[in-house]
Amino acid sequence: MSTTKTISAQLRGVITQKNNGAFTVSTPTGSRNCPLTARLRRESGGELAVGDEVSVDAAGQIDALLPRRNWISRRSAAPMPGAHTHEQLIAANLDQVVPVFAAANPRLAWHLLDRYLVSAESAEIPALVVITKFDLAAGRPEADEIEQVAAEYRALGYPVLLTSTLDGSGLEAFRAALHGKRSLLVGKSGVGKTSLLNALEPGLGLRVQATNAVTGKGRHTTTAATLLPLTAGGAVIDTPGIREFGLWDVDGADLAWFFPEMRPHLDRCRFGLDCRHAEEPGCAVRKAVTDGLISPYRYQSYLKLRYDP
Amino acid sequence: MTTIPFAQRTYSRSKGQQDTFGDFTCLHCGRLVQSHELLSGVRNRNHCPHCLSSRHLDLYAAGDRLAACKGRMQPVALTLKHDGNKYRRNSGELMLVHICDECGKLSINRIAADDDNERILRVFAASQRLDPDTQAALTHAGITPLEAWQKELVQRRLWGGR
Repeated sequence: MSTTKTISAQLRGVITQKNNGAFTVSTPTGSRNCPLTARLRRESGGELAVGDEVSVDAAGQIDALLPRRNWISRRSAAPMPGAHTHEQLIAANLDQVVPVFAAANPRLAWHLLDRYLVSAESAEIPALVVITKFDLAAGRPEADEIEQVAAEYRALGYPVLLTSTLDGSGLEAFRAALHGKRSLLVGKSGVGKTSLLNALEPGLGLRVQATNAVTGKGRHTTTAATLLPLTAGGAVIDTPGIREFGLWDVDGADLAWFFPEMRPHLDRCRFGLDCRHAEEPGCAVRKAVTDGLISPYRYQSYLKLRYDP
Repeated sequence: MTTIPFAQRTYSRSKGQQDTFGDFTCLHCGRLVQSHELLSGVRNRNHCPHCLSSRHLDLYAAGDRLAACKGRMQPVALTLKHDGNKYRRNSGELMLVHICDECGKLSINRIAADDDNERILRVFAASQRLDPDTQAALTHAGITPLEAWQKELVQRRLWGGR
């Protein structure tokens, strides 16, 4: 993953799209499709991601990967229980991760949000939470619940935006939050990641589809991760819908550290840093949950991630 | 009991939330507890049939597993679950009342088919001498424990007969 090479007079660029091993690279002289050199393919295993900075040789091949500032990856989906999994890179060199959820269709999954947030925390990348289709919940009990839970996440330091592409609410705040940054949009299929981008930049004209009317699930319309520059400055990486998001390279012993509200309690457990915060007597984290300092839902997410990362 | 200052989220049954969480070893008496519905007659096996102890695992709804307390819940009394029939005296299902040793949370649980009846009767006897704190907690929660004069009713519910 850390294949680097001293860059001399070669052309530098950023990978803007990855599709079945073919890469689109944006260079100062324009965008071009570049394969990997045989040496780089051998050394890196072909694992380059959108957002990677690379150098392109005279033959138009990517011959070196520049050092990454950060990256987001997930555990590959296992084809069967017990099957071998590997790291699956999603994007690199990011300023923020934007987990996108729909207020309805498909149903909002707070536990999945905690997975994204832990992944962003472990990569030390700030996160911005966006909830789309808020018009579908307006006036219903779900809207109150979403607003209350959003306030809980804001109190933890995660900005949460409630948006609707139908009535345009929250879009200006979203535009401002993206300004000058490279942001990665992640979320399940059908939550409206691409629709958000179309609403922000109508010129993009990206393909979108309505969710399935019966199941409320998305149709996997976006099929490749693509880096899209924004006219106001900054760029967004739109990604295909993610069905599963398994944590990669997050050690169970460190997991609690990636829940910011648990950090002040970690050194107060009776068993110190050996505490798993599950059943241990004298656990300060469990006490903080029962005292109402930590959300029981966040604590449940911690336990789920501990046993099923 | 501390009031939880977090919004209760809509309960939705997912793969992680099931009626039964499988067989378990009782943390109090150490015996293996079979949770199968065919043995216990209930879908939520929430206490040990041998010592009747339970664990404080649920916070808002049965099976949500949101409680971080995880303390031992002791059976302290018996009560009747109201069946809505106000004209029938002593109607309703016989229930066990548990109280958490750690935080004082109260819960009312169904008696299962394989529960130790003699032990249930001992819980009933002990509940006639409840300490004032437990008594106050029951009153505050609106739970009416069965009293000594209802012993015959308890025996009838446990062993049958008219």
